[in-house]
Amino acid sequence: MTSDESVIEQWLHSCVRCSNCKYVFREYSPSCPSGEHFGFETYYASGRIWLAQALYKGELEWESSLLDPIFACTTCGNCESQCLAPHSEYIVDMIEELRARAVQEIGGLPSHIRFRENVVQCHNPYGAEHHNRNLVETHSLPLQAETVYFVGCTSNYRETQIRDATISVLKKAGVDFTVVDEYCCGSPLIRTGQLDPVNEAAQHNADAIKDAGAKRVVTSCSGCYRTLSRDYPKLDIELGVEVVHITQFLKELIDKGAIVPRSTEHRPIITWHDPCHLGRHMGIYDEPRDVISTLPVDLVEMETTRENAWCCGAGGGAKAAYNDWSVETSKKRIEQALRTGAELIVTACPFCTRNLRDGSSEDGPPVIDITELVGRFI
Amino acid sequence: MVSLKEKFEKIVGADHVSDGSAERYVYSRDMTENPPREPQLVVMPSTAEEVQQIVRLANEERVPLVPFATGQNVGGLTIPQVDDAVIVDLKRMNRILNVDEEGMYMVVEPGVTFGHVRKYLDENHPNLRYTYAISSPFTSVIANALLQGLCDLSTRYGAMAEFINGLEAVLPTGEIVRVGSAILGDDNWFGRYPLPDLVGLFTGWQGMTGIVTKMALQLWPKKPFTRHFALFTFGEFMTTDLLKQIVRADLAEDAGALSFSVVKGLIGMPAPIEAIEGEPDYGTFLNLSGVTRLVLGGKVRLLEGIVNNSKVKEPKNLLIPFEAVARLMSEEAYGWVDFPSDSFKQLTEYDGLTWMGTYIHPRNWGEALVKGREIVEKYGYELMAFLKPMKGMHFCEFKFIIRFERDDENLKKVRQCNNELLDLALDLKAIPYKTPVWSAKKLHERADPNFVELVRRIRDLLDPNGIMNPGRWGL
Ligand SMILES: Cc1cc2nc3c(=O)[nH]c(=O)nc-3n(C[C@H](O)[C@H](O)[C@H](O)COP(=O)(O)OP(=O)(O)OC[C@H]3O[C@@H](n4cnc5c(N)ncnc54)[C@H](O)[C@@H]3O)c2cc1C
Ligand code: SF4
Ligand code: SF4
Repeated sequence: MTSDESVIEQWLHSCVRCSNCKYVFREYSPSCPSGEHFGFETYYASGRIWLAQALYKGELEWESSLLDPIFACTTCGNCESQCLAPHSEYIVDMIEELRARAVQEIGGLPSHIRFRENVVQCHNPYGAEHHNRNLVETHSLPLQAETVYFVGCTSNYRETQIRDATISVLKKAGVDFTVVDEYCCGSPLIRTGQLDPVNEAAQHNADAIKDAGAKRVVTSCSGCYRTLSRDYPKLDIELGVEVVHITQFLKELIDKGAIVPRSTEHRPIITWHDPCHLGRHMGIYDEPRDVISTLPVDLVEMETTRENAWCCGAGGGAKAAYNDWSVETSKKRIEQALRTGAELIVTACPFCTRNLRDGSSEDGPPVIDITELVGRFI
Repeated sequence: MVSLKEKFEKIVGADHVSDGSAERYVYSRDMTENPPREPQLVVMPSTAEEVQQIVRLANEERVPLVPFATGQNVGGLTIPQVDDAVIVDLKRMNRILNVDEEGMYMVVEPGVTFGHVRKYLDENHPNLRYTYAISSPFTSVIANALLQGLCDLSTRYGAMAEFINGLEAVLPTGEIVRVGSAILGDDNWFGRYPLPDLVGLFTGWQGMTGIVTKMALQLWPKKPFTRHFALFTFGEFMTTDLLKQIVRADLAEDAGALSFSVVKGLIGMPAPIEAIEGEPDYGTFLNLSGVTRLVLGGKVRLLEGIVNNSKVKEPKNLLIPFEAVARLMSEEAYGWVDFPSDSFKQLTEYDGLTWMGTYIHPRNWGEALVKGREIVEKYGYELMAFLKPMKGMHFCEFKFIIRFERDDENLKKVRQCNNELLDLALDLKAIPYKTPVWSAKKLHERADPNFVELVRRIRDLLDPNGIMNPGRWGL
């Protein structure tokens, strides 16, 4: 990252450790997946802030037992929604800066280091063979287009049904779009404090988008959306195009009549999971609900939604490093979903889709992406 | 050889013990100016039996134990006073075990917080209420009662220890005991009398006499008719005299008075907040209730009469209905009276928060406020006094809250300021509450030596190996 300003330094005298971030304000249900599981004060936002401050001030020495409290956090940002103090909206930034410092001082977690190496070698954290641009041929896409669909590594190499549904919906809506030779957006690296390869990948993506002559980038992944919109400008990478998430784009397409959902006899009950990177990190709560409201489905909300939504458990490198806890967190969300009576759990982040499925039982409601849902009705 | 950590792990499981430097750091200090000290381990039991095994092990190994609920006592009370202590973090014991509608009490574990009680009662027993503090919603109700704190029914019923019907505790020697009527079995936690009142062996002891694993606390019926008022007043003596009249007339369920700066903070004025010449000195939130509209109406008229009479001496005294306050401030204002925790936001401004708080004879209340104010102003801190008439005006509470940045210079200054405030309080024979060690020591110097000796003897009797929170309360 190019920014030299330390957000930890900026908030060196903040956080009274009042515990407010541990639970949903006025609802009193748990908010922090990390603290809820690990229990020690160090695993809540307040503990991490006090550690960040102590390490910054030199009151605490760097050593390996710090790694778990620093990294066992999904960076879901629920603490930010609950904290009433002036630093509230900077908590995740503080945690990410703490992680970057940890990587510099004592090295990161082995599983995070592995996906960093994969990004450097294969341009995706999974170490899969880089094949993004083949999609142009497979789907007969133009080399240049007004819209670039930024597929994202998880949709492209793991949850490919999301990629395919998105391409299908965009085609049916008559969108002039293409895909570019995208590299990992850098989100998994930024979230885990491994910043050094990020600039190069980001610059590559910026160039590829520019070469495509695009005016707009659409992402499937909430993490890519956050990174391209919020993190790239901090890296001084200007894409020079509008960045939108697929939920926003779908709403636009429906509003202007490019997508006209048809009605069906059976209106399935669905529930919506707010991805942290889309909701809390970017403030997008209404668009997916607006899209859903145009479909022949009945939306029943879970007990925690929007700013207070319980995290799927996958973010911030948690899935790679702490899979058991990550899946346990997802199971709690699935329990909430089951209590709505939903036949389908819908979300808009391939990472959430994957982890929510990992937390589901085989005979439970399927977890699908919003593009798959829209695809069923056009 | 099996290490101490492994022995604790055997009791509570490896996931619930840590000797990591992160945990040792975070549990070594709190928001106050009290000096930090690292524990050697943190353990998190989930049952009374696990607590019992922890205590037995601590006796065998001569390891000091410090009970911890959420660490927000504002007195450094969970900071170990000796090296190599083990923090017993009780947050996993978070069950509301029973609510007895007829006996109007609840039985809870130490990790249960005000927020959880509030939610549980609203959802399951909407006709009953507990009493709520201005702390964050997520502080322990058991710790609050053990500390003899004050909540929003204290104006009527007194300090929080009064709300205890009985408790279960693991003694420092490892036995599990009950005190109160539940000695005759579960579902019988109706009260403490007529028995030797051994609840007092645990309240006010700051975790030195055992670890409380269950407590029965009184609930109260919600009054069907309520109204809230804000009273703005001038001058310490006139304010306290007026509050005395109102509370003696049994008009208010709760009367929490705040320096006007705190009121300004509530409506969003940024820190630091200065007192301005000519503005009221105090804003008091009054909660009136009645079993019928008529009863409530009568109380309102009486209150208006008392305030009107006070205008002979101070014409600017002002009583306004809460509806007007909410219009002026925001709908949030209803939250402050409904659940006072909702108003604590301004206390989260920095990383430091402290106060010197006391219970005091009504006779000395006004003087304490006048002189305390001078001290706080001398140090250049914001004027953030909080005062409450207690137990129908049998005694009073005051504290001066200081929010501050925890750097070396401020820590020193805050210590000096609190020291001066404590000297003033002791001169006026006030009893400091939730006393940090430095404060308890000053109290000992002035207190009846036989009382201090009795406390020491009881402590030694209960805890022959000195494992429970040693050094606490200056013992
Ligand atoms: C902003 C703010 C506002 C506050 N307002 C109020 C208020 O209005 N009224 C009020 O009374 N207090 C208030 N407090 C103080 C405090 O939060 C409460 O008294 C609180 O309920 C104590 O709970 P805790 O979880 O913080 O306890 P802790 O700090 O964890 O523990 C307090 C003490 O009790 C001991 N202890 C804890 N649990 C046990 C147990 N199970 N057995 C034996 N010993 C135990 C500990 O060792 C320690 O000595 C406030 C605090 C803050 C930060
Ligand atoms: S992060 Fe905010 S809510 Fe959490 S303890 Fe600190 S001040 Fe309180
Ligand atoms: S970001 Fe999420 S997991 Fe991390 S501390 Fe905040 S609430 Fe907990």
